Amino acid sequence: MKRTLNINIGNSLIHIEEDAYEMLTGYLNEIKSHFAKNADDFEIVTDIENRIAEMFAEILSAQHKAAISITDVQQVITQMGTVRDFESSEDEEHPFSMPYSQGIKRLYRDTEKGMVAGVCAGLGHYLNIEERWIRLFALLSTLVGGAGFIAYLVMWIIVPRAQTRSEKMYMKGEAINLQGFIRNFQEEMENSNLLRRSGGIIAEFADWFGRFINGTGKVIFKITAGFIILMSSGMLLAAIVTLASFLGVFDYAGNEIFPLSMVNDSYVSLLLLSAFVVIAVPLLALILFSIRVAFNGRQIHKNVSFGLLILWLAGIATGVFFIAKTSTEFKEHTEITKVSNLKSYPVYTLDLDNSRVFSKEDSLLYHINNENSKGWVILDEREGPFGKPDDVRIYIERSLDATNSVTQNFASHGKTFDAALKNAQSIRYDFQQKDSVLTFGPKLRLTNQAKWRNQEVKLIVRVPVGTHLIINRDLDHYLAGYRSWNCGDSHEGDFVEWIMTENGLKCKNELKEEDHQDQ
Amino acid sequence: MIAENTQTQMRKGILEYCVLLIISRGEIYASDIIAELKSAKLLVVEGTLYPLLTRLKNNGLLSYNWVESTSGPPRKYYVLTDDGKSMVRQLDTTWQELSYAIETSKQVKK
Repeated sequence: MKRTLNINIGNSLIHIEEDAYEMLTGYLNEIKSHFAKNADDFEIVTDIENRIAEMFAEILSAQHKAAISITDVQQVITQMGTVRDFESSEDEEHPFSMPYSQGIKRLYRDTEKGMVAGVCAGLGHYLNIEERWIRLFALLSTLVGGAGFIAYLVMWIIVPRAQTRSEKMYMKGEAINLQGFIRNFQEEMENSNLLRRSGGIIAEFADWFGRFINGTGKVIFKITAGFIILMSSGMLLAAIVTLASFLGVFDYAGNEIFPLSMVNDSYVSLLLLSAFVVIAVPLLALILFSIRVAFNGRQIHKNVSFGLLILWLAGIATGVFFIAKTSTEFKEHTEITKVSNLKSYPVYTLDLDNSRVFSKEDSLLYHINNENSKGWVILDEREGPFGKPDDVRIYIERSLDATNSVTQNFASHGKTFDAALKNAQSIRYDFQQKDSVLTFGPKLRLTNQAKWRNQEVKLIVRVPVGTHLIINRDLDHYLAGYRSWNCGDSHEGDFVEWIMTENGLKCKNELKEEDHQDQ
Repeated sequence: MIAENTQTQMRKGILEYCVLLIISRGEIYASDIIAELKSAKLLVVEGTLYPLLTRLKNNGLLSYNWVESTSGPPRKYYVLTDDGKSMVRQLDTTWQELSYAIETSKQVKK
């Protein structure tokens, strides 16, 4: 089925198919623009139009057809001849060597292949370079200072548009002879959007504007789409790499990282996989969509998009299920407490020890021979990329019965009371007294298999009134309620001296000031 | 290439002469001129004829009458003017001269 149009040509009404009409319009425009050079153009064009109308009438009655098809138009054009034929028989001003000289190139704008006004395409023909390189160059030179833009505008105005077939052939440097002509004609027949040319700068502008939406607009659109595709692909790749590394492909202890350390080993892979699906499916869909819209790729099969949607929903459902399951692991809360007395000293030093003594577990974990690891310490232990929530707090309180003590309080959550208790027992925390020096570890550790269940360590140091405490500034972070930065001179060093009073711990410097005020 | 040039030049001159000759036999429609030229194997494409006819008309060698047609718009029927007729006579002479020149040239070659 084809759409047909009614046209009035040579005062007769002709039914013509749409594509045939386009070809005919192009042909007549070419003829009109050719004969515009002569004063008698109108008469010649009318003669030709009349004759074409007559030929159409003959074709229709001879073949008992209702409408003129594209092959009929082609036949008529062959019979009537084209502008090139007229040129060789009519144009006496042109010296004969000119139309027949082979390979002479002239610079024209190629509005058929062009994106904006065909300047780049025309230059491409002229310089025998693929136009995309010229476009790239033009774009780059536009971005760098805008020189390309100015040059483009100037060339748009100066360089004529290739309108007639012979001009197009000059533009491409094809030999202007019958063979070249036929080839050119066939090429044009294959080119479906061939007949958009018409005279006049306004028409050209309107034509250009229409193509801007189709052409340059599309280019910008395509660049954007390309960017989106590139970004999405990068993210997709990152997601794949992350998944692979977490699943242990790269032997990376991903399970130790905080948010995952709370998930049971049995389904951590499933949870990761579902998270991956939830992230990857929309990215994939975005890529496919961008490709389809911008580059006229094949339409995504309905089953594929439907399958992707199902996969995505399944990913979400799995994720939600395991998150819910994991959250039940935090239902119960338990604390265990151990009180140990401290040897009595008038002055204590509270220090932070970032080093860590190798335990038997560490030796297993890091595959170090137990014999060799004895006595070795890990200096300056670091947190992973994702820090756990603060899990060590240190309180300093006034002792009621003149004894010095430290209470270690280990707390944890768990699915049941027993589980919570077990989780609390899995806590390892480094605290030691060496003479008057109390050393605290920077964080708690869990024995090998234990999962993160919001385990917390609370240390309560109880000293009688009048005890001096020299506290490392680094412990600030762990101390509940005291800020050594408010106390004393920050130039004094790493340690700040505090004194236990009836009203709790006071900064030594502050006490001095108060004394002065009292006096 | 060069041969083609010469051929085209020769054909151009002769085409004009032939068209005038065909019209000199009586009032005739452009389409019929084409048919005759085609049977004489002289014309390649029809489009060439219309500019030629217009030019001859503008030079005062031809005129035309509109004649109603049964199957379409009115048609232009061409006739020779007096100038045209004398032009044909001149061309007749020229042709005989040319024909003689060619015959002679060929004989001399032998």
